[in-house]
Amino acid sequence: MKKEIVLSGVGGQGLISTGEIIGQAASIFEGLNATMTASYGSETRGTFTKTDVIVSDKQIGYPNVEVPDLILCLAQVAYDKYLPLFRDDTLIVYDTDEVKKADFSKGQHIGYPFRSMGIELGNIQTANTIALGVMMKHTGLLTKENILSAIASRFAGKEKAIAMNSKALEKGFEL
Amino acid sequence: MRKTVKKFIEGNVAMVEGAIAAGARFYAGYPISPSSEIAETASKELPKHGGMYVQMEDELSSMATLLGASLAGKKSFTATSGPGFSLMQENLGLGVMSEIPAVIYDVQRCGPSTGAATKPAQGDLMQARWGTHGDHGIIALSPSSAQDCFDLSITAFNLSEKYRTPVVFLADEVIGHLRETVVIRQPDPSEIINRRQPDPDTKPENFRPYDFSGNTPAPMPFIGDKKFLMRTTGSTHNEKGAFCPTPDNINRVTNYLTNKIEKNADAIVITREYHLEDADEVIITFGCCVRSAMTAVDRLRQKGIKAGLLQLVTIWPMAEKKIRSVLSSVHRVIIPEMNLGQLANEIRKFNDYGCKIIQVNRNDGILITPQQIIDGLEAK
Repeated sequence: MKKEIVLSGVGGQGLISTGEIIGQAASIFEGLNATMTASYGSETRGTFTKTDVIVSDKQIGYPNVEVPDLILCLAQVAYDKYLPLFRDDTLIVYDTDEVKKADFSKGQHIGYPFRSMGIELGNIQTANTIALGVMMKHTGLLTKENILSAIASRFAGKEKAIAMNSKALEKGFEL
Repeated sequence: MRKTVKKFIEGNVAMVEGAIAAGARFYAGYPISPSSEIAETASKELPKHGGMYVQMEDELSSMATLLGASLAGKKSFTATSGPGFSLMQENLGLGVMSEIPAVIYDVQRCGPSTGAATKPAQGDLMQARWGTHGDHGIIALSPSSAQDCFDLSITAFNLSEKYRTPVVFLADEVIGHLRETVVIRQPDPSEIINRRQPDPDTKPENFRPYDFSGNTPAPMPFIGDKKFLMRTTGSTHNEKGAFCPTPDNINRVTNYLTNKIEKNADAIVITREYHLEDADEVIITFGCCVRSAMTAVDRLRQKGIKAGLLQLVTIWPMAEKKIRSVLSSVHRVIIPEMNLGQLANEIRKFNDYGCKIIQVNRNDGILITPQQIIDGLEAK
């Protein structure tokens, strides 16, 4: 089993944090192997950014995603960039507030207004975690319990962040 | 005592965990991408272990402070990238000449000069070897995983203490920022090497802090030791540490500084093999390119091609014996590296066997892909 995941958007959307949660849930709590790499510019916010996560039951060599199985797009610039890589079996999870789906494109698309849902939940910063719930529900890659454990570990000592992100994850799994 | 834990962390953070596990308690540095997480983590973690973090005004003073702290008895480290490493070269030479242990983490990025600050490269191979002037030996280690960043940090400090020399930890942006599972353990005390101290029965007047007679450094008391006088100088010195620029002594000291590393290469050199035993097609590489090479080997084997990998964990001293044994047993080797051939040129020096050297180079800040290595082989 090997899943190649791309988390893409613009800086400041919490994609590195989401990648860390997936990696931690997979490697620490599910006993799989995981790698995560991030591509970033010199700026911290507002420009295209992507995080590659690979989860496998075998040793992982080359750590960058070559053929994505699952792509999260939280910004139009990210969607447009990855559009040529979509295959019939690619799962694309995207934010309908931010991304206009191409009229003709391969892959299975699942879109929700993650940004608005985050605001409704009380914090726009949880949009990425709601999307994480959707991704994991539709792929069955990691259990909800293990992701919750990873959230608790990632935000250790920050009770509010743990509660908020746990709630956001539950929300994503409900969709 | 820290217990063994598994963490999903990036290489840069694992380096600090490894340094602390090795007994390092002092950091002086000036943050620079893509190494800054080392400074950040060191500033948070060292004080928890009774250590000290000092943010310096630049890399010249960082390296000087590092040596001072080490002379005073603390295992010390700094972190930088290409431009900062250039600024450290003068005092790195002081560390080599006065035989002061220290570990310098260089997380390589694109150069020269400011280059591309956030993009990976492996262009500091020769800077690590010859960046400081004059004949000398140097030890440099290159990690290929976040776990390596922890484990090889312990090795780096041990080698530094054992051979009384600065050790370069030659990482790169890919590995520095690669998050993976890392097992963080407290090494058994028997695993940790501390610098040799003078035999307590030695009479102070008979003690010599330098010994150029063999390939093993003299014991090294701390500066300010109550019994033994420890002198240090960057000028050519005798066994007492006194200035001694006679032709015979200059010759003796520079030969010694080279030989204490090169003649101990068998004990220092670390290599790893991946499907090398029956390989017809051999990849030789180091650092981040090891990851691409492993995937290339897997894919070639799936196609029925007997591919294998020789990983150079120590870059300096070069694994000459192992490289020669590969060059003499196959028709060609492929050398991927994120520069224009710094490793390939070193390997050519050992090629007395007519082995074809195929280079796969990339210097655009993007990690060499497994396919590029495969293409390099198939292009013949």
